[in-house]
Formats: sequence, structure tokens, C-alpha cells
Amino acid sequence: MGLMEVHDQRSKLRQLADDFAWLEGHCLKQPELADHAAHLRMAAALTRNVVGPSAEAQPPKPLFLAVVGGAGAGKSTVVNFLAGSVVAEANPQAGYTRHPTAFLPAALGSTWPTTLGFLGPLSRLSEVKPADLDEDVYQVRRIPPQSGPDPLGDFVIWDCPDMTTWASTGYVGRLMEVVGLADVVVYVASDERYNDAVPTEFLHHVVRAGKAVVVVLTKMRDGDADALTEHFRQEVLGRLPRGEGGEIPPIPCVAVPNLPPDVRKDPAGLGAKYRVALLNQLLALCPTPEATRARTTRNAMVYLQTAGDGLLDVARRDLTELDLWRGLVEAGRADFEKRYAREFLSGETFRRFDRTREQVVEMLELPGPGKVISATLALLRLPYRYARDFVARLLARPEMPTQPERVVLATALAAMLDSLQADALRRAGSHPVWKQVTHGFDAGLKTQTLDAFEALYRDYEAAETDELDAAAKAVPDRLAAHPVPLLFLRLLVLAIDLAAVGATVYFTWVPSLYQLLLIPLVVSVSRQVVELIVRQVVELGRSRLRNHRLALVREKLSLPVAQRLIDWPTSGGTAMQKLQQVLLRVPATIRELAARLAPATIPPPPAPPDSAEAVAS
Amino acid sequence: MSAPGATPSPFLRTLAPLLRSLERRLREWLDARRCYPVSLVARAEVEGLAEDLKRKADGLDSERPVLVVMLMGGTGVGKSTLMNALAGAPVAQASYTRPTTRDPVVYFHQSINPDRLDPALRLCRLSRHDRDSLRDKVIVDTPDLDSNDTANRDRLLELLPVADVVLYVGSQEKYHDQLGWEIFKEQRRRRAFAFVLNKWDRCLDAGAAGLRPDDDLLRDLKSEGFENPRLFRTAAQRWVDSPDAVPENLPPGEQFPALRDWLELGLTRLEIDAVKARGVGQLLEQVEQSLEAVRPPDITAPARKVEAGWERELAAEAEAQSEVLVGTLEPFQNEVEQHFSQRGHQRFRGLMAGYLRVTTKLRYVGSSLRDRVPFVGKLRGAKAESATDWDLAGFVRSCSRTASERVLAQRMAALTSRLLVETSTSGFPLAVINDRTTGTLKLDWEDRVTRSVVEALTEVEAEVVKPTGLRRVVREVVGVLGNFVPEAVLISSIALLLWRFFVEGLTPEFFHVLLPVYVTLGTLIALHVLILFALPVRWAAIRGEFARRLQRKLTDEFERTYLPIPRDAAAAVAAEQMQVEELRGGTREVAEWLSEREQAAHIGELYGR
Repeated sequence: MGLMEVHDQRSKLRQLADDFAWLEGHCLKQPELADHAAHLRMAAALTRNVVGPSAEAQPPKPLFLAVVGGAGAGKSTVVNFLAGSVVAEANPQAGYTRHPTAFLPAALGSTWPTTLGFLGPLSRLSEVKPADLDEDVYQVRRIPPQSGPDPLGDFVIWDCPDMTTWASTGYVGRLMEVVGLADVVVYVASDERYNDAVPTEFLHHVVRAGKAVVVVLTKMRDGDADALTEHFRQEVLGRLPRGEGGEIPPIPCVAVPNLPPDVRKDPAGLGAKYRVALLNQLLALCPTPEATRARTTRNAMVYLQTAGDGLLDVARRDLTELDLWRGLVEAGRADFEKRYAREFLSGETFRRFDRTREQVVEMLELPGPGKVISATLALLRLPYRYARDFVARLLARPEMPTQPERVVLATALAAMLDSLQADALRRAGSHPVWKQVTHGFDAGLKTQTLDAFEALYRDYEAAETDELDAAAKAVPDRLAAHPVPLLFLRLLVLAIDLAAVGATVYFTWVPSLYQLLLIPLVVSVSRQVVELIVRQVVELGRSRLRNHRLALVREKLSLPVAQRLIDWPTSGGTAMQKLQQVLLRVPATIRELAARLAPATIPPPPAPPDSAEAVAS
Repeated sequence: MSAPGATPSPFLRTLAPLLRSLERRLREWLDARRCYPVSLVARAEVEGLAEDLKRKADGLDSERPVLVVMLMGGTGVGKSTLMNALAGAPVAQASYTRPTTRDPVVYFHQSINPDRLDPALRLCRLSRHDRDSLRDKVIVDTPDLDSNDTANRDRLLELLPVADVVLYVGSQEKYHDQLGWEIFKEQRRRRAFAFVLNKWDRCLDAGAAGLRPDDDLLRDLKSEGFENPRLFRTAAQRWVDSPDAVPENLPPGEQFPALRDWLELGLTRLEIDAVKARGVGQLLEQVEQSLEAVRPPDITAPARKVEAGWERELAAEAEAQSEVLVGTLEPFQNEVEQHFSQRGHQRFRGLMAGYLRVTTKLRYVGSSLRDRVPFVGKLRGAKAESATDWDLAGFVRSCSRTASERVLAQRMAALTSRLLVETSTSGFPLAVINDRTTGTLKLDWEDRVTRSVVEALTEVEAEVVKPTGLRRVVREVVGVLGNFVPEAVLISSIALLLWRFFVEGLTPEFFHVLLPVYVTLGTLIALHVLILFALPVRWAAIRGEFARRLQRKLTDEFERTYLPIPRDAAAAVAAEQMQVEELRGGTREVAEWLSEREQAAHIGELYGR
């Protein structure tokens, strides 16, 4: 692995742990998501303390053993039994221990993990302090060397704070961090506590995270030990979350009854009976350090993958609200376009096309010497033309005034924004997204959007003018570009005129003076026909432009503005943006990690048929 | 409210009807329809308090109210053992399996009729005794609050409201647990608390560091305001194991006898009544606080601000809409002009009338032609009758339909959004008026607007046809002139002509014969010009007048519809505020009445600050 790659991987892992931490904060802010918070905290701890070191191929030793349990359950006593001598003092004050302490066996020497980000927010105390120091720290103490071989020579034993007292909300994170690190968790439950809700829930988290667990039941009367263990198996272990195969992972139980002080003070001697039972169960779970660490890593990856899948659950509510917002903006956009079509397009006549019509009619006149004929014919039509213009003026209706396009668009946009703001205000109490939107409006989202609209409008105006010009000039330009068809059309028009005149003369032969007056009339009629045809062609262009105008507004104005609004809650460094980023990033990183760690620790997935074929071919 | 008797119990008894009436009022308030929204949580809290009031009233409504002492704690701390030790007999099941107690045990004197117990207690396991020292006290053993069996916790929370004194039982492991502590903090303002640290023998293991559990607990209680709490250190199991004698080798400082004595002798009638009264006082305080929380804020000032803002918005909208509506009339300006001219000319008779009819027809020949010529484009959606047989209402309807087809509906929606935004920026609670404001969109605005247009146009017409003031004088003068002068000119010119022919003997020529016609025509034209100058009928003038009136009409219409909304809402909320204030006043009255009569007793340590 190259240096760059290692660096890249480290930053990715740190990013992943940070993302989990951020998501946890996000969940804690919403009461209905609080359940997810503990999972995310566990995921962060696993990322930092198990997956990180494995990805960097750290040695499997030392293994870690976390002793957890409710206040007063007897954690310190169990630590002493594991260590083989009194290293942790039992304390009658419930919740006295506020930070974890590691007990390092003499056999391990000074081996201590050096991975960056080890134990995340916890820092190591350099000196011995009382266990009630309520800070994000841990301390390391040494177990005095023993005479015989130490069966737990590879294990660092962690004495952890409780999770049941009312002060524990402040330090349960430290407990989680150490549990995330552990290869084996020793769960201590007293006769008072063994069926309590809070420790049981914690046990569920531990089992879900794939940790190997040994249960130590304490403080019962000697005679009750078997019955109590049975009851515990049935009531608590029987209701643990099912594993992948649908069965509950096997969890050994060791009973340590209420011991007199002298036995407690001498774990290796008077208490050896209980100690040996405990160590046997523990060592049976850990055949070799390598296998144990590999199992821890594999289970951690499985947990992370399910956590990655569960992320959508965390954000489901947010995503629904965002979808709702998107729907509102889309509806607002549809209204905006409808309003534009009704208020502006329906009344707009595109005067530019009137000039096009005149232009096309002019182009049909004969050039050069033909001008004489045209002029003659025009002269003949003069009376008709005057009469027609007079009648047209008489009949013309004044137009309905339309507001300028820009005003119509700006008003429609303002209406759309107002309606969005009103909707957001109505929903402000229901979800943070709406509160964020209303705050946005208070902070000038409307003005910003209108400003953005102004900028977009300039683009649109340029495009619109170009398009109008192009559409209006389409017919004359095409005619000018093709002289042969133009000439043909000119001759056709001339032919119609001449044919009309010829026909008149022919049918009235020999024509009298009055009958010759028919000629201007006929010529006028033929011209009117030609103009009607030209008019139809130009009108076609006009209606095409009108239809296309809405598409142009949509492309240049309404879609960009709507997109901007849709993206607004998830941009500008807001929580929603971060949420979206995290939702994309976390599963991707986990997949990547799984792929990288796969050959080392994860057995090949059961049945991906296509990859099997690929190997075969 | 009669004065209480000298003995304490009747005094408590008189409290019962007061509490009942307070409960009734609370329930009425809960059932009433309200404008200002009350959150579900707050509502549930008030409902619970009403229930508690009823419970208290029922409990006090007897000769000797009983004191309910309830044991509360985590599973395994020894509640049932403690109960058995107190009873001196195995009344509650105690065992090593957790959780043990599922059915609460109620331990009470045989003189108490079980029917007099609170309904919640009647469903528990009842255990009667004949110890006179515990005569007026009911001791209840409850299920745990922290095991995996969450039904137990629910059961406990159902029972807790019945308790007058809660005996918070902890052990070395659990005295500090979060679940119990949360319930304690939630309940401590509502009832008396005493504390038991059971399994005292386990607390005495000498630790290297840290506080002894009782000191730790006392410290926590002090920080919660219990300066000098009643804390009993017990080892109940030992007392159960030797029921008949004082157990041997009790751990030092064991206080079970003190607990028993306190329950039996320390809580006298005086103390019981004081605890009961204090419980009522605490409940009333709770009621007052909850009412304070649900009292709607004062919104008269924001309402005024909203009204001013809305007036502005409505005026602007009326102006914009009247522009649009007048705009739809624009294509028909000739017809309108013609119509008004004809109406103005109807007063003329004879020659003048005939002349005017001909000229008007000529002048507006275009518009009458247009309706007969098929090819000329008619305006979309607006079909106007020809001006001669003009139906004003139908015409206007078609115009406003054009307008509404364009934007009216969307404009109204935009207007409501704007009003709501304006509301929220003025600091007025949106929820109060949202429904009614949005509801206005369902009104038939097209109809209302049409009515306004018709009214405005009719008024303008009336003004033209029946002017007032100087215009009226001018019009009368012109009318008289128009009706008499042409005929007079015609007759006098004919008479003059006849005089010249017959008296002066002038030879008649063709020109002479036509002269009266010319002169009359000239007079008519002169009068027409006079009419045009003195009583002008021009679109620009009509339009301005029409727009002005229409805008006023629309503003009126809008204000009639919208302005009462915030006004009414503010009035309704103010009324609701009054109601809550009255309720609070009632509560305070009862509380004051109570505090005046509260007896001095040794119960101060059962309550924190």
C-alpha cells in the first residue's frame, strides 16, 4: 500500500467516524430518532477502534476486554477476578467511576496501539487520578506481575463506568467508545439488576455490534445461583436480537454469588473457584488472538454495513419533507407558467410579424424592368387599396392593453414566492425543514430569488429577441437564399395578374369603356388572393413562435428559478445539505472499506453468481 | 364559601366541593371550541390535573381522610421485603426473581371500607390489618420502575397520582438510578417524599474513595432542594427473618424501627391533614402553572398591525384588479361611448333627436358593421352586443369572465398568500386565522367582482344621464335649447319666407325654398357642437371615472371580506385569554383560602424547596 493510499484511507476513516458522530447529533435533535443515536455512536466507535486498525494491518495483540454493567453490579470485583489481584477498588458510591481505566498485564510490556484516532475523543491521562474524574479521558494502570503464567496475558482489561445512574448520560459516550474497541465484553449483572431495562438495552447494542459476550451474574445467595442463571437465560438472553441466521448467539454465563470480603480481596486464592470458571469461558471464546481480532473486525464490518443500510431510516422523515417542498415548488412553477400564458401570451400579438408580411409581399414584386409592370398594376389597384384601408380602420377594434412581459413575469414570480412562504409558515411547526425555509424567507430569500430572476431575465431577453428576430425573418430569408423558387413565385404572381386581365378582356370582347373599368377590380382581387396566402404563411410562423415562447420561458426562467428554490434547503451549509452529503458518503465509504478488508477478514459472500461465472471463465 | 369549622377534618371536607367546581370548570374549558390552538401535551396535562382534582375531592369527602403512603423504587431494592417487615407478616411476595411484584399490594386498616379506597387501589391485592396505629394510613407496595417488564412501570405511573406520601426506596446499587430519579423529579412538586436506603448492610463496605451512599443521596437531595429530608437506612430482610424479636448484629445506624415509628406515631391526624392540605395546595399550584402555560398571548397589538398591513395590501390589489377589469373594456370603448351618447341624447325630441340619431349612427358605423361582418376577428371570450340594443349586465359579465379567465383566480390565491405572509411578519399567530383566510378562496369571486363592475358602470351611467350641480344646469339649458330652438328656427324661417313672398312680393326661387332647411341644419349643427363641448362623452373621461369607482367598490368588497378576520380572531383569542385568566383566578382563590387555614405540622421535611 502506497503512502498516499494510507493517508487517503486514514482521512476517509476519520471522515466516516465524523459523519457517524454528526448523524448522531442530528438524531438527538429529533426525539423520534433518539433510538438511532446509540447505533450511530457504536458505529463511530467501531470505525475508529476496530476497522481503522485492521485497515492499517495493526498487529492483533493486545486484545481488549471491557467489563460493563449497571452501577454497583460488581464491575470492579470482576475486574479484580480477571486480573488475579486487587487492582480496582470496589466503591459503594453508585456511579463513582466516570471514565474508563485500562489494566495492562505485565506480560504485554509496553505494547499499546498507536493508530491515529484510537479511542476517538478520549485522551490518555499521564498520571493516576481518582476514577470519578468526569472528563473525556482514560487511564492505564499496570497489573503487578504474577508468579505463574498469566492466562490473560494478551488481554487489556477495561474497567468501565456504569450506564444506569442519572449522571451516566454525561459519560455513556466513553463507555461506548471502549465497548466499540473491545474484542470481548464482560457483562456484569447483579441479582438486583439482571432484568433491568437500561442494562439490557445496552446488552442488545453490544450483541448487535457482534461482540463476544460473557455474562457474570453476581451477588445472589449461593443457593439461588442456578435458578437465577436459568431465569436470566430465559428472560434476558432469550430475548436478544437474532443474528443473521435467525439464532441467538451463544452467550456463556458465570455466576459469582455474594462473596465475603476476604474472598473478594483474594481472587487468585480463596476466589480461585469463581475465577477459573470465568477464565475458562473467556478463553474458550478466544482461541487465538488472530482469530479473535478477525472475528471482531468482521462483525464490526457487518454492523457498519447494516448501519449504512439503516441510514435512510434516519433521514426518511427529512427526505419526505424535502419531497413535499419539491412538490410545492413544482406546483408553484406550473402556476407561474400558467399565469404567464394567460396574462401575457394570450394577449401578445408579436407586431414584428406585420412587417414580415409587408416584406414578403414586396419581395414578390418583379425586379428590374419588370418594375414597370408592377408599377402599372399598383396604379390600377390604387382605388381599391384606399377603400380597403378605410374600411379596415373603421372596423378595427382597439386592443386590450397588456402589461409588459417583464412586469407580468416578476409579479407571477412574487406570487409564487409568497405562496411558498405562506405554505412554509403553515407547516413551520411540523419539521425543521419548514422552519429553515421560513427563516430563509425572513432573511431575504424572496429578494435573493428576485435578484436571481433579474439576472436570468437578461439572458432570457437576449434569447427571446434573437428568437423573435429569427422567427420573423425565417420566410424572407429563405426566399432570399433561394433565388430560383423566388423567381418562380414572382412569375407565378405575374401570371395570375396577367391571366386575370386576359380573361376579363377575352370575356368582354369587344370591351367598352365601362367594361374596361373591370380590369382594376380584377387585378385587385387577384392581389388580395396573393396577400391572403402570404398572410397565412406568416401567421403560421407567429403561432409557432407563441407556442415556443412558453418553452423558452420554462427553459430560461422558470426551471432555473424552481431548481434554485428546490435546492435551497439543501445548500449553503445547512443541516439538510450536510445530511444529503453524509447519506451519499457513508454507504460509499463502507462499501469501499468492505471491499478492501474482504480478502483479509470477511469470508466470501454466499452467492454472487455472476462473479463466480467470471472466475470460471 | 362558608367558614371552616374549628377541627381540621371538616375544613378539608369543605374543600371537596370547591375542588369539584374547579374540576367542572376545567372540563368545560377543555370541551369548549377554541380559536387559539392548545398543544396536545398541554391539553393532556390539564386533563390529568382535572382528573387529579376529582380524585382529591373524592378522597377528602369523608370524616377521616386516609393517607396513602406508596413505596416506589427499582426492582430488587426490597420494596416488598420492607412492606412485609412493616406488616410483620408476608403480605407481599418477595423473591430473588426479577421483577417480583406485578400486582400492587394495598395494606390498610379493617375499619376502612374498601369501596372508599381510590378506584385505582381497589383493583390491587387488598390486605387488611387491625393495627390501630396505622388506622388512617394505607400503605401500597408498587411494581418496579426499571425492569424489562415495562407494563410494571406503567402500572406504577397509574398508581402514583393516588399517593400522598411517596416512600422512595433505594439500595446501594440503585439509589442513584436514572429512571427512578426522573420520576422523583417529575413528582416532587406534587406530593410528599420520604426516602429509604434499604440493604443498608451493603452500603457499609469500606471503599477506598467516594462517598457513602447515604451521604451521596443526601447531597443529591440537597441539590434538589431537600435540605433536611427524612431518610431511613434499613435492612428490612433482617427484620423479616426474625419477625418476633429485634434481629441480632444489625449493621450500625440501622433505622427500621424509626421508620416504623414514624409511620405509626409520627404521622398523627394533624400531620395527615396537613399533608392532605399541602397535597391539594401543590395540585392547585400545578393547575395554575398549567393554565399559565395554555393561556393565549395578548394579540391585540399585532392584530392592529395586521389590519393596517392588510388594508395596504387590499388597496393595492384592488387597484391592480380594477386596472385589469377596465383593460378588458378597452376594446369596446366605441360601444361604450356610443351607448353613453345615446343615453345622453334620449332627452331630446323632434328634430334634434332625429338629427342626433342619424349622426351617432354614422359615427359608430364601424362597430355596428363589425358585428355583421363575419371575417373581422372578435376578441376572444368577449362578445359584445351591438350598442343599439345594449344589455349592460350581460356585457359586463362577459368582460369580467374574460378577466377571470386570465388571472382573477390566481390573483386571489396570491393575495391570500401575501396576506398570510404579512400576518406572520407582524407577529400574529398564523394558525389562528389560516383556515378562515384560506377559506375565502372558495367564495365566488367572479360573481362578486362582476357585481362590483356592474355597480360601478351603472353609477357612471347615472352620472352621465342624470348629472348634478353645474352640469345639471348646463344640461337643462342645452336640453331646452335643443328641443325648442331647431323647431323655432324652422318655423320662423318659413314664416319669414312666407312674409317675404306674400307681403313683400319676392319672387320665389329654388334657393329660397331650401333656405329654411339650411338654416335649421346649421342650427342643429351649432347645437350639436355646443352639446359636444358642454356635455362631452369621451372614453378617456368615462374610463377614469369608471376605474376610480371600480377600485373603491373592490376595496370595499375586499375589506368587507378580509378585515374582520384578524379582528374577530383577536377578539376570540382575547375572550379565551379571559377565560383562562378567570380559571386561574378561581384556582388562586381556592389556594389562598387553603393557605390561610393550613395547620402547622411537622411535615416540612417531606417537601423540598
